[in-house]
Amino acid sequence: MALRLEARQLVKRFGARELFRIPEFNLRAGESLYLQGENGVGKTTLMKILAGLDKPCDGSVRLLPARRRWWLSALDQKVIYLHQTPYVFAGSVADNIAYGLRYRGFDQQTIRQRVALGLRWSRLEALAEHDAVTLSGGEKQRMALARAWVLEPQLLLLDEPTANLDVDSVSLVADMVSGMVADGAAVIVSSHQKTALTRLCQRRLHLINGQLREVFSSTRQEQYGH
Amino acid sequence: MDSLITTSIAALELLFSGDAELWTIIGVSFRVSLSAIAIAAIPALLLGFTLAMVQFPGRWALVAICNALMAVPTVVVGLTLYLVLSRSGPLGEWHLLFTQPAMVVGQVLLCFPVLVCMSHSAFQSVDKRAWETARTLGAPWHKALLTLVNEARFALLAALVAGFGRIISEVGCSMMVGGNILGYSRNIPTAIALETSKGEFAQGVALGMVLLLLALLLNFLLASVRGRGQQV
Ligand SMILES: Nc1ncnc2c1ncn2[C@@H]1O[C@H](COP(=O)(O)OP(=O)(O)O)[C@@H](O)[C@H]1O
Ligand SMILES: [Mg+2]
Repeated sequence: MALRLEARQLVKRFGARELFRIPEFNLRAGESLYLQGENGVGKTTLMKILAGLDKPCDGSVRLLPARRRWWLSALDQKVIYLHQTPYVFAGSVADNIAYGLRYRGFDQQTIRQRVALGLRWSRLEALAEHDAVTLSGGEKQRMALARAWVLEPQLLLLDEPTANLDVDSVSLVADMVSGMVADGAAVIVSSHQKTALTRLCQRRLHLINGQLREVFSSTRQEQYGH
Repeated sequence: MDSLITTSIAALELLFSGDAELWTIIGVSFRVSLSAIAIAAIPALLLGFTLAMVQFPGRWALVAICNALMAVPTVVVGLTLYLVLSRSGPLGEWHLLFTQPAMVVGQVLLCFPVLVCMSHSAFQSVDKRAWETARTLGAPWHKALLTLVNEARFALLAALVAGFGRIISEVGCSMMVGGNILGYSRNIPTAIALETSKGEFAQGVALGMVLLLLALLLNFLLASVRGRGQQV
Protein backbone atom coordinates (compact mmCIF):
# COMPACT_ATOMS: atom_id res chain seq x y z
CA MET A 1 0.00 0.00 0.00
CA ALA A 2 1.40 3.37 -0.97
CA LEU A 3 2.16 5.98 1.63
CA ARG A 4 -0.37 8.65 2.59
CA LEU A 5 0.03 11.49 5.03
CA GLU A 6 -3.10 13.02 6.54
CA ALA A 7 -2.99 15.99 8.89
CA ARG A 8 -6.16 17.31 10.48
CA GLN A 9 -6.89 20.43 12.51
CA LEU A 10 -3.24 21.12 13.19
CA VAL A 11 -2.63 23.99 15.57
CA LYS A 12 0.73 25.13 16.88
CA ARG A 13 1.14 27.83 19.51
CA PHE A 14 4.18 29.18 21.26
CA GLY A 15 2.86 30.73 24.45
CA ALA A 16 -0.03 32.98 23.54
CA ARG A 17 1.05 33.31 19.91
CA GLU A 18 -0.64 31.02 17.42
CA LEU A 19 1.84 30.13 14.71
CA PHE A 20 -0.56 28.34 12.37
CA ARG A 21 -3.89 26.56 12.10
CA ILE A 22 -4.27 24.00 9.33
CA PRO A 23 -7.67 22.30 9.00
CA GLU A 24 -6.53 19.75 6.47
CA PHE A 25 -3.40 18.66 4.67
CA ASN A 26 -2.86 15.54 2.56
CA LEU A 27 0.08 14.11 0.76
CA ARG A 28 0.41 10.97 -1.35
CA ALA A 29 3.29 8.81 -2.42
CA GLY A 30 5.28 10.24 -5.29
CA GLU A 31 4.10 13.83 -4.84
CA SER A 32 6.61 16.63 -4.65
CA LEU A 33 5.57 19.72 -2.80
CA TYR A 34 7.09 23.14 -2.43
CA LEU A 35 6.28 24.74 0.90
CA GLN A 36 6.64 28.44 0.42
CA GLY A 37 6.75 31.08 3.13
CA GLU A 38 8.70 33.97 4.56
CA ASN A 39 11.23 33.49 7.32
CA GLY A 40 9.57 32.86 10.65
CA VAL A 41 6.11 31.80 9.40
CA GLY A 42 6.58 28.30 10.79
CA LYS A 43 7.79 26.14 7.89
CA THR A 44 10.37 24.38 10.04
CA THR A 45 7.90 23.85 12.85
CA LEU A 46 5.28 22.44 10.48
CA MET A 47 7.75 20.06 8.85
CA LYS A 48 8.99 18.79 12.20
CA ILE A 49 5.40 18.13 13.24
CA LEU A 50 4.74 16.24 10.02
CA ALA A 51 7.93 14.23 10.63
CA GLY A 52 6.92 13.37 14.19
CA LEU A 53 9.82 15.29 15.73
CA ASP A 54 7.54 17.91 17.27
CA LYS A 55 4.01 17.70 18.63
CA PRO A 56 1.13 19.90 17.52
CA CYS A 57 -0.80 21.66 20.30
CA ASP A 58 -3.95 20.34 18.70
CA GLY A 59 -4.90 18.00 15.88
CA SER A 60 -3.28 14.94 14.46
CA VAL A 61 -0.85 13.69 11.87
CA ARG A 62 -1.58 10.28 10.49
CA LEU A 63 0.71 8.23 8.36
CA LEU A 64 -0.77 5.36 6.39
CA PRO A 65 -0.22 2.48 6.34
CA ALA A 66 -0.08 2.76 10.11
CA ARG A 67 2.23 0.62 12.20
CA ARG A 68 2.39 -0.55 15.75
CA ARG A 69 4.10 1.65 18.31
CA TRP A 70 5.88 0.84 21.53
CA TRP A 71 6.95 3.42 24.08
CA LEU A 72 10.57 2.50 23.39
CA SER A 73 10.18 2.55 19.67
CA ALA A 74 11.69 4.63 16.94
CA LEU A 75 9.79 7.21 14.89
CA ASP A 76 8.16 6.03 11.70
CA GLN A 77 10.98 4.83 9.49
CA LYS A 78 9.25 5.79 6.26
CA VAL A 79 9.72 9.50 7.00
CA ILE A 80 12.94 11.47 7.25
CA TYR A 81 13.38 15.14 8.03
CA LEU A 82 16.53 16.99 6.94
CA HIS A 83 17.64 20.14 8.73
CA GLN A 84 18.47 23.34 6.91
CA THR A 85 22.06 22.90 8.05
CA PRO A 86 22.63 19.19 8.57
CA TYR A 87 23.93 17.91 11.87
CA VAL A 88 27.14 15.96 11.43
CA PHE A 89 27.83 13.12 13.86
CA ALA A 90 31.34 12.58 15.18
CA GLY A 91 33.18 10.22 12.85
CA SER A 92 33.89 9.83 9.17
CA VAL A 93 31.61 10.53 6.23
CA ALA A 94 31.05 6.77 5.84
CA ASP A 95 30.15 6.47 9.56
CA ASN A 96 27.57 9.20 9.11
CA ILE A 97 25.98 7.56 6.09
CA ALA A 98 25.89 4.25 7.98
CA TYR A 99 24.15 5.83 10.99
CA GLY A 100 20.52 4.97 10.27
CA LEU A 101 21.34 1.60 8.70
CA ARG A 102 22.45 0.34 12.09
CA TYR A 103 18.87 0.54 13.37
CA ARG A 104 17.24 -1.35 10.52
CA GLY A 105 18.53 -4.81 11.33
CA PHE A 106 20.93 -5.04 8.40
CA ASP A 107 24.05 -7.19 8.67
CA GLN A 108 27.50 -5.62 8.39
CA GLN A 109 27.93 -6.69 4.78
CA THR A 110 24.68 -5.06 3.65
CA ILE A 111 25.51 -1.92 5.58
CA ARG A 112 28.90 -1.67 3.87
CA GLN A 113 27.34 -2.18 0.46
CA ARG A 114 24.67 0.43 1.02
CA VAL A 115 27.17 2.94 2.38
CA ALA A 116 29.29 2.41 -0.74
CA LEU A 117 26.22 3.03 -2.91
CA GLY A 118 25.34 6.12 -0.91
CA LEU A 119 28.86 7.48 -1.25
CA ARG A 120 28.78 6.98 -4.99
CA TRP A 121 25.30 8.46 -5.31
CA SER A 122 26.34 11.59 -3.43
CA ARG A 123 29.75 11.72 -5.15
CA LEU A 124 31.52 11.65 -1.82
CA GLU A 125 33.58 8.50 -2.44
CA ALA A 126 36.85 10.39 -2.29
CA LEU A 127 35.90 11.80 1.11
CA ALA A 128 34.57 8.54 2.62
CA GLU A 129 37.15 8.29 5.38
CA HIS A 130 37.44 12.01 6.03
CA ASP A 131 36.23 13.43 9.30
CA ALA A 132 32.73 14.57 8.47
CA VAL A 133 32.95 17.90 10.30
CA THR A 134 35.60 19.05 7.84
CA LEU A 135 33.20 18.92 4.87
CA SER A 136 32.01 22.08 3.14
CA GLY A 137 28.37 23.17 3.40
CA GLY A 138 27.44 21.62 0.04
CA GLU A 139 29.22 18.37 0.86
CA LYS A 140 27.49 18.18 4.23
CA GLN A 141 24.13 18.64 2.54
CA ARG A 142 24.93 15.84 0.07
CA MET A 143 26.10 13.63 2.91
CA ALA A 144 22.85 14.28 4.77
CA LEU A 145 20.89 13.38 1.64
CA ALA A 146 22.89 10.18 1.21
CA ARG A 147 22.38 9.38 4.91
CA ALA A 148 18.65 9.50 4.20
CA TRP A 149 18.76 7.96 0.71
CA VAL A 150 20.38 4.70 1.90
CA LEU A 151 17.33 4.21 4.16
CA GLU A 152 14.93 4.42 1.20
CA PRO A 153 12.45 6.84 2.79
CA GLN A 154 8.97 7.19 1.33
CA LEU A 155 8.60 10.74 2.52
CA LEU A 156 11.47 13.18 2.66
CA LEU A 157 11.09 16.58 4.32
CA LEU A 158 13.80 18.97 3.17
CA ASP A 159 14.05 22.17 5.17
CA GLU A 160 15.51 24.92 2.98
CA PRO A 161 18.02 22.45 1.56
CA THR A 162 19.70 24.94 -0.73
CA ALA A 163 19.57 28.10 1.37
CA ASN A 164 23.25 28.02 2.29
CA LEU A 165 24.67 26.53 -0.91
CA ASP A 166 26.48 27.86 -3.94
CA VAL A 167 25.01 27.44 -7.44
CA ASP A 168 26.86 24.22 -8.32
CA SER A 169 25.86 22.56 -5.07
CA VAL A 170 22.25 23.62 -5.62
CA SER A 171 22.08 21.87 -8.98
CA LEU A 172 23.77 18.74 -7.57
CA VAL A 173 21.30 18.61 -4.69
CA ALA A 174 18.40 19.25 -7.08
CA ASP A 175 19.52 16.31 -9.21
CA MET A 176 19.75 14.06 -6.19
CA VAL A 177 16.30 15.02 -4.95
CA SER A 178 14.65 14.66 -8.34
CA GLY A 179 16.21 11.20 -8.52
CA MET A 180 14.50 10.29 -5.29
CA VAL A 181 11.18 11.64 -6.55
CA ALA A 182 11.59 9.60 -9.72
CA ASP A 183 12.07 6.55 -7.51
CA GLY A 184 8.66 7.19 -6.01
CA ALA A 185 9.40 9.07 -2.79
CA ALA A 186 7.17 11.92 -1.72
CA VAL A 187 9.13 15.10 -1.05
CA ILE A 188 8.34 18.32 0.75
CA VAL A 189 10.78 21.14 0.13
CA SER A 190 10.52 24.33 2.13
CA SER A 191 12.06 27.51 0.89
CA HIS A 192 11.51 31.22 1.19
CA GLN A 193 12.56 31.71 -2.42
CA LYS A 194 12.31 29.84 -5.72
CA THR A 195 15.25 27.63 -6.61
CA ALA A 196 16.15 24.93 -9.10
CA LEU A 197 14.73 22.49 -6.58
CA THR A 198 11.39 24.17 -5.94
CA ARG A 199 10.77 24.44 -9.67
CA LEU A 200 10.73 20.64 -9.85
CA CYS A 201 7.78 20.39 -7.49
CA GLN A 202 4.30 19.50 -8.71
CA ARG A 203 2.46 21.21 -5.89
CA ARG A 204 3.06 24.54 -4.25
CA LEU A 205 1.66 25.50 -0.88
CA HIS A 206 2.01 28.88 0.73
CA LEU A 207 2.20 29.23 4.49
CA ILE A 208 1.09 32.76 5.24
CA ASN A 209 -0.65 34.44 8.17
CA GLY A 210 -0.95 31.14 9.97
CA GLN A 211 -2.74 29.45 7.07
CA LEU A 212 -1.66 26.93 4.48
CA ARG A 213 -2.92 27.69 0.96
CA GLU A 214 -2.57 25.52 -2.09
CA VAL A 215 -1.26 27.89 -4.73
CA PHE A 216 -0.67 25.49 -7.53
CA SER A 217 -1.02 21.81 -8.20
CA SER A 218 -0.14 20.11 -11.43
CA THR A 219 -1.45 16.79 -10.11
CA ARG A 220 -4.85 18.37 -9.47
CA GLN A 221 -4.91 19.94 -12.92
CA GLU A 222 -4.21 16.59 -14.49
CA GLN A 223 -7.04 15.07 -12.48
CA TYR A 224 -9.50 17.76 -13.54
CA GLY A 225 -8.23 17.77 -17.11
CA HIS A 226 -9.19 14.16 -17.72
CA MET B 1 63.79 22.30 54.82
CA ASP B 2 65.99 19.46 55.90
CA SER B 3 63.11 17.60 57.47
CA LEU B 4 60.99 18.10 54.34
CA ILE B 5 63.64 16.43 52.22
CA THR B 6 64.22 13.55 54.64
CA THR B 7 60.46 13.06 54.95
CA SER B 8 60.08 12.96 51.18
CA ILE B 9 62.85 10.41 50.86
CA ALA B 10 61.29 8.30 53.59
CA ALA B 11 57.96 8.58 51.79
CA LEU B 12 59.46 7.37 48.51
CA GLU B 13 61.11 4.49 50.32
CA LEU B 14 57.76 3.52 51.81
CA LEU B 15 56.07 3.61 48.43
CA PHE B 16 58.68 1.62 46.59
CA SER B 17 59.40 -0.90 49.35
CA GLY B 18 55.85 -2.16 48.82
CA ASP B 19 54.84 -1.36 52.41
CA ALA B 20 51.79 -3.56 53.01
CA GLU B 21 49.94 -1.10 55.26
CA LEU B 22 50.41 1.72 52.79
CA TRP B 23 49.19 -0.26 49.83
CA THR B 24 46.19 -1.58 51.78
CA ILE B 25 45.19 2.01 52.44
CA ILE B 26 45.56 2.89 48.77
CA GLY B 27 43.54 -0.21 47.86
CA VAL B 28 40.69 0.79 50.19
CA SER B 29 40.59 4.27 48.68
CA PHE B 30 40.36 3.01 45.14
CA ARG B 31 37.91 0.21 45.87
CA VAL B 32 35.52 2.54 47.68
CA SER B 33 35.75 5.48 45.29
CA LEU B 34 35.61 3.42 42.11
CA SER B 35 32.56 1.55 43.43
CA ALA B 36 30.91 4.85 44.31
CA ILE B 37 31.51 6.40 40.90
CA ALA B 38 30.40 3.18 39.15
CA ILE B 39 27.13 3.18 41.11
CA ALA B 40 26.45 6.89 40.66
CA ALA B 41 27.51 7.36 37.04
CA ILE B 42 24.60 5.92 35.07
CA PRO B 43 21.70 7.24 37.17
CA ALA B 44 23.39 10.66 37.36
CA LEU B 45 23.95 10.68 33.62
CA LEU B 46 20.31 9.79 32.96
CA LEU B 47 19.16 12.52 35.32
CA GLY B 48 21.51 15.02 33.69
CA PHE B 49 20.15 13.99 30.30
CA THR B 50 16.54 14.36 31.47
CA LEU B 51 17.25 17.78 32.93
CA ALA B 52 18.84 18.89 29.68
CA MET B 53 16.31 17.45 27.23
CA VAL B 54 12.90 17.19 28.87
CA GLN B 55 10.86 20.18 29.88
CA PHE B 56 8.90 19.62 33.06
CA PRO B 57 7.78 21.88 35.88
CA GLY B 58 10.39 22.27 38.58
CA ARG B 59 13.28 21.51 36.26
CA TRP B 60 15.21 24.66 37.10
CA ALA B 61 14.64 24.16 40.80
CA LEU B 62 16.17 20.71 40.49
CA VAL B 63 19.19 22.07 38.63
CA ALA B 64 19.64 24.76 41.28
CA ILE B 65 19.41 22.17 44.06
CA CYS B 66 22.02 20.01 42.37
CA ASN B 67 24.31 23.00 42.03
CA ALA B 68 23.88 23.80 45.68
CA LEU B 69 24.52 20.18 46.72
CA MET B 70 27.86 20.24 44.88
CA ALA B 71 29.08 22.76 47.41
CA VAL B 72 27.89 20.98 50.56
CA PRO B 73 30.91 20.23 52.79
CA THR B 74 31.73 16.55 52.96
CA VAL B 75 31.51 16.53 56.77
CA VAL B 76 27.90 17.65 56.54
CA VAL B 77 27.08 14.72 54.28
CA GLY B 78 29.07 12.52 56.66
CA LEU B 79 27.19 13.79 59.69
CA THR B 80 23.81 13.29 58.03
CA LEU B 81 24.68 9.79 56.95
CA TYR B 82 26.11 9.07 60.42
CA LEU B 83 22.80 10.06 62.03
CA VAL B 84 20.87 7.89 59.58
CA LEU B 85 23.14 4.85 60.01
CA SER B 86 23.90 5.09 63.73
CA ARG B 87 22.29 2.53 65.99
CA SER B 88 19.40 4.81 66.96
CA GLY B 89 18.98 6.13 63.41
CA PRO B 90 16.31 5.06 60.90
CA LEU B 91 18.65 2.58 59.18
CA GLY B 92 20.49 1.54 62.33
CA GLU B 93 19.46 -2.10 61.98
CA TRP B 94 21.48 -2.41 58.82
CA HIS B 95 24.70 -2.16 60.91
CA LEU B 96 26.44 -0.25 58.15
CA LEU B 97 28.20 2.36 60.25
CA PHE B 98 32.02 2.09 60.13
CA THR B 99 32.00 -0.20 57.10
CA GLN B 100 33.20 0.18 53.54
CA PRO B 101 29.62 0.07 52.17
CA ALA B 102 28.82 3.08 54.35
CA MET B 103 31.78 4.91 52.86
CA VAL B 104 30.59 3.97 49.38
CA VAL B 105 27.12 5.31 50.13
CA GLY B 106 28.62 8.55 51.43
CA GLN B 107 30.77 8.97 48.35
CA VAL B 108 27.87 8.18 46.02
CA LEU B 109 25.98 11.03 47.70
CA LEU B 110 29.00 13.29 47.30
CA CYS B 111 29.73 12.67 43.64
CA PHE B 112 26.12 12.37 42.46
CA PRO B 113 25.37 16.12 42.29
CA VAL B 114 28.70 16.78 40.57
CA LEU B 115 27.94 14.16 37.93
CA VAL B 116 24.37 15.40 37.44
CA CYS B 117 25.36 19.04 37.07
CA MET B 118 28.26 18.40 34.77
CA SER B 119 26.45 15.88 32.57
CA HIS B 120 23.48 18.25 32.45
CA SER B 121 25.66 20.99 31.01
CA ALA B 122 27.42 18.47 28.77
CA PHE B 123 24.12 17.37 27.23
CA GLN B 124 22.88 20.94 27.09
CA SER B 125 25.84 21.94 24.97
CA VAL B 126 25.10 19.23 22.39
CA ASP B 127 23.20 20.67 19.45
CA LYS B 128 19.46 19.96 19.57
CA ARG B 129 19.70 18.81 15.94
CA ALA B 130 21.81 15.83 17.04
CA TRP B 131 18.85 14.32 18.86
CA GLU B 132 16.42 15.13 16.05
CA THR B 133 18.75 13.72 13.41
CA ALA B 134 19.26 10.51 15.36
CA ARG B 135 15.52 10.10 15.87
CA THR B 136 14.49 10.87 12.31
CA LEU B 137 17.07 8.43 10.98
CA GLY B 138 15.29 5.75 12.97
CA ALA B 139 17.24 5.47 16.23
CA PRO B 140 15.08 4.29 19.14
CA TRP B 141 15.37 6.79 21.96
CA HIS B 142 17.86 4.80 24.02
CA LYS B 143 20.14 4.53 20.98
CA ALA B 144 19.72 8.24 20.33
CA LEU B 145 20.77 8.78 23.95
CA LEU B 146 23.93 6.75 23.32
CA THR B 147 24.59 8.88 20.26
CA LEU B 148 24.37 12.00 22.40
CA VAL B 149 26.71 10.42 24.96
CA ASN B 150 29.16 9.90 22.14
CA GLU B 151 28.75 13.46 20.90
CA ALA B 152 29.35 14.79 24.43
CA ARG B 153 32.04 12.27 25.37
CA PHE B 154 34.75 14.78 26.28
CA ALA B 155 32.54 16.79 28.58
CA LEU B 156 31.16 13.59 30.13
CA LEU B 157 34.66 12.25 30.73
CA ALA B 158 35.49 15.54 32.42
CA ALA B 159 32.41 15.06 34.61
CA LEU B 160 33.62 11.61 35.66
CA VAL B 161 37.08 12.94 36.47
CA ALA B 162 35.64 15.80 38.50
CA GLY B 163 33.29 13.48 40.38
CA PHE B 164 36.11 11.05 41.11
CA GLY B 165 38.33 13.93 42.22
CA ARG B 166 35.72 15.03 44.71
CA ILE B 167 35.49 11.64 46.43
CA ILE B 168 39.00 10.18 46.21
CA SER B 169 40.35 13.11 48.20
CA GLU B 170 37.59 13.77 50.71
CA VAL B 171 38.24 13.28 54.43
CA GLY B 172 35.11 14.36 56.26
CA CYS B 173 32.56 11.81 55.17
CA SER B 174 34.93 8.81 55.11
CA MET B 175 36.16 9.67 58.59
CA MET B 176 32.67 9.93 60.06
CA VAL B 177 30.96 6.90 58.51
CA GLY B 178 34.06 4.76 57.86
CA GLY B 179 35.72 5.25 61.22
CA ASN B 180 39.30 5.14 59.88
CA ILE B 181 39.79 1.47 60.86
CA LEU B 182 43.23 0.27 59.81
CA GLY B 183 43.14 -2.37 57.10
CA TYR B 184 39.44 -1.94 56.52
CA SER B 185 38.07 1.56 56.29
CA ARG B 186 41.21 3.65 56.44
CA ASN B 187 41.68 5.33 53.08
CA ILE B 188 44.22 7.80 51.76
CA PRO B 189 42.70 11.04 53.07
CA THR B 190 41.80 9.71 56.52
CA ALA B 191 45.25 8.13 56.84
CA ILE B 192 46.93 11.41 55.93
CA ALA B 193 44.85 13.23 58.53
CA LEU B 194 45.66 10.63 61.22
CA GLU B 195 49.37 10.25 60.55
CA THR B 196 49.82 14.00 60.44
CA SER B 197 48.04 14.45 63.73
CA LYS B 198 50.40 11.84 65.22
CA GLY B 199 53.39 13.76 63.90
CA GLU B 200 54.45 10.95 61.56
CA PHE B 201 54.74 12.56 58.20
CA ALA B 202 56.38 10.00 55.93
CA GLN B 203 53.26 7.90 55.29
CA GLY B 204 51.14 11.04 54.88
CA VAL B 205 53.54 12.46 52.32
CA ALA B 206 53.71 9.14 50.47
CA LEU B 207 49.92 9.00 50.25
CA GLY B 208 49.81 12.65 49.24
CA MET B 209 52.17 11.80 46.40
CA VAL B 210 49.81 9.07 45.23
CA LEU B 211 46.92 11.53 45.12
CA LEU B 212 49.02 14.09 43.30
CA LEU B 213 50.16 11.53 40.77
CA LEU B 214 46.58 10.39 40.26
CA ALA B 215 45.40 13.95 39.66
CA LEU B 216 48.17 14.47 37.14
CA LEU B 217 47.42 11.19 35.39
CA LEU B 218 43.68 11.80 35.10
CA ASN B 219 44.16 15.29 33.77
CA PHE B 220 46.77 14.17 31.29
CA LEU B 221 44.37 11.50 30.12
CA LEU B 222 41.62 14.06 29.74
CA ALA B 223 43.84 16.50 27.90
CA SER B 224 45.22 13.86 25.54
CA VAL B 225 41.78 12.49 24.68
CA ARG B 226 40.55 16.01 24.07
CA GLY B 227 43.62 16.90 22.06
CA ARG B 228 43.17 13.87 19.84
CA GLY B 229 39.53 14.83 19.39
CA GLN B 230 40.52 18.24 18.12
CA GLN B 231 43.09 17.01 15.61
CA VAL B 232 40.70 17.14 12.69
N1 LIG C 1 10.68 26.18 20.67
C1 LIG C 1 10.18 27.38 20.35
N2 LIG C 1 9.73 28.22 21.32
C2 LIG C 1 9.22 29.42 21.01
N3 LIG C 1 9.11 29.90 19.77
C3 LIG C 1 9.53 29.13 18.76
C4 LIG C 1 10.09 27.82 18.99
N4 LIG C 1 10.41 27.30 17.80
C5 LIG C 1 10.08 28.21 16.87
N5 LIG C 1 9.55 29.30 17.44
C6 LIG C 1 9.07 30.50 16.73
O1 LIG C 1 8.18 30.10 15.74
C7 LIG C 1 8.34 30.90 14.59
C8 LIG C 1 8.48 30.04 13.37
O2 LIG C 1 9.71 29.37 13.38
P1 LIG C 1 10.13 28.42 12.19
O3 LIG C 1 9.20 27.27 12.16
O4 LIG C 1 11.57 28.11 12.38
O5 LIG C 1 9.91 29.33 10.90
P2 LIG C 1 10.52 29.19 9.45
O6 LIG C 1 11.15 27.85 9.33
O7 LIG C 1 9.34 29.36 8.54
O8 LIG C 1 11.49 30.30 9.26
C9 LIG C 1 9.55 31.79 14.83
O9 LIG C 1 9.09 33.12 15.11
C10 LIG C 1 10.19 31.20 16.05
O10 LIG C 1 10.72 32.23 16.86
MG1 LIG D 1 13.11 27.33 8.98
